[in-house]
Amino acid sequence: MSDRFEIEAADRPLRQVNSDIRAAVADGHKVVVRRPLSRHNLGVGLPAGADVVFDGSVGYYCGGLNDGATIGITRNAGWGIGEAMATGHITVDGYCGMSLGASMRGGLVHVRGDSGPRCGVAMKGGDIVVEGTVGYLTGFMSHAGRIVSLGGADDACGDSLWGGEVWVAGPIASLGVDAEVVEPRQDEVTGITELLARVGVDGSFDWKKIVSAQRLWHFESRDATAWLMI
Amino acid sequence: MCGIAGRIAGPDGQVGADLVELMQAQRHRGSDSTGFGIYGPPRQRGYVVRMVGGDRSVVESSVERFAVASRAGGADLIEDPTWDDLNQPHVSVRAVVDDPARPFADWLSAVDHLPGLEIQSVGRSLEIIKDLGNAYSVAEAHGVRELAGTHGLANARMATESLVSPTASHPFWARPFPDVAIVHNGQLTNYYLLKERLIRAGYDFKTENDSELIAVWVADQMAQGMTLEGALELSKSALDGVFTYILATADQLVFAKDRWAIKPLAVVEESDGGLALATEEQALRRLFVDEVEVLNYDGPRQSRLWPVAGVAVPA
Repeated sequence: MSDRFEIEAADRPLRQVNSDIRAAVADGHKVVVRRPLSRHNLGVGLPAGADVVFDGSVGYYCGGLNDGATIGITRNAGWGIGEAMATGHITVDGYCGMSLGASMRGGLVHVRGDSGPRCGVAMKGGDIVVEGTVGYLTGFMSHAGRIVSLGGADDACGDSLWGGEVWVAGPIASLGVDAEVVEPRQDEVTGITELLARVGVDGSFDWKKIVSAQRLWHFESRDATAWLMI
Repeated sequence: MCGIAGRIAGPDGQVGADLVELMQAQRHRGSDSTGFGIYGPPRQRGYVVRMVGGDRSVVESSVERFAVASRAGGADLIEDPTWDDLNQPHVSVRAVVDDPARPFADWLSAVDHLPGLEIQSVGRSLEIIKDLGNAYSVAEAHGVRELAGTHGLANARMATESLVSPTASHPFWARPFPDVAIVHNGQLTNYYLLKERLIRAGYDFKTENDSELIAVWVADQMAQGMTLEGALELSKSALDGVFTYILATADQLVFAKDRWAIKPLAVVEESDGGLALATEEQALRRLFVDEVEVLNYDGPRQSRLWPVAGVAVPA
């Protein structure tokens, strides 16, 4: 990373750090941000073509509203990474906290470690790949897009899914409300294999594809017990 | 939304100073009030009593009334009481009383209902200091940074359930159990039911705050013979709502978390026996500026208990 333009985060004002990142990107530099110290809101709203690495752990909402940037985080990330991103590619080398990719519409978030609860909550498109396990309530109320876990899933996987997909290789602690495991088509499996190849993962996996059972698409009050599995 | 923190000190014993940094880093989570529960070196004899008086202009007579009531309850004061000289209507008072000659509960009922003076904590080592404002302003006003000890907990409050006042803020003492205190991030929805039961069982509550319930509820479970681990486990189903709470006793620091996994907690365990807990990881990084292993307790129904090494708890 020695060829990158260096910006120090540490205890500098966050707005200044983010302005410096944008200015360096506008000048055509690749950027490395030193000492991010788990601070929140780093690298929010970065434009297409930006290439920014955070050298350490970041806090909440890093890479949120991403509009096409490539973002790397060399250690752990806090909550809401890549929230509402439109497109782009975010890589977290360590653990990624709750609600990663919340409401994202496109792009790819790749986590090399485990993820916290509500992975891909309310996502509207794009892809999430977690090489470790995904936490409680993964895919909660997701409308579209693919969430892929290579290491298994914690409780309530796929809870209240609307139209998205959760793909799990490994054990699933339990399925969530209105989620069901279905047999994937071969072309869908090929699509997942291609997605994994983009993040440097190959191999064959025993997939469970989880989708909405669609009972909650047409909710009626007499079915209330279907909601009350909590 | 509140911010909470806990600390087991390393060999330097800087509990107060470290908690002030952890809380100032979380002031955006609520700084209508900030409070600290610091466990100093445990006394072999006597109890530290921390109080808040509502009317500074009558503090001398209030403190005198406390001394008379304490003697009537069987405990002489063994140090002259002190109070702050701040320019605000309420006043923070510190007293040290001897071991009561009568049962502790009798002494407490003699001093716990005095007009104009409310007890915040009683303990061999625990001292609760809480006031309006952010961590730095409360620390400046009450000398929190200078308080050394073994461990402690703290809270930056954004009031959702009750009054903004020093007495309604955290930490809460588990009245009437000496040296037990909690801080809480979240809201309970069934606290009034459990509180009603505890009031009928003879417990006394001083505020309308939902968090006060947690302290007394856990301590009551233990008084009925349950282990602290057992009480933590039961609290995950008995308490309804969203919560992550940290509870401290004279020689333990613990946390428990609800089934919804809404309220975060990040932890650093140091090799020298030190421990730091905070709602947000970025607060921990005030103490650990180099990259450090941080455990994120993000999942549902989690809890942990850490013993505080080297504390000799007097009977």
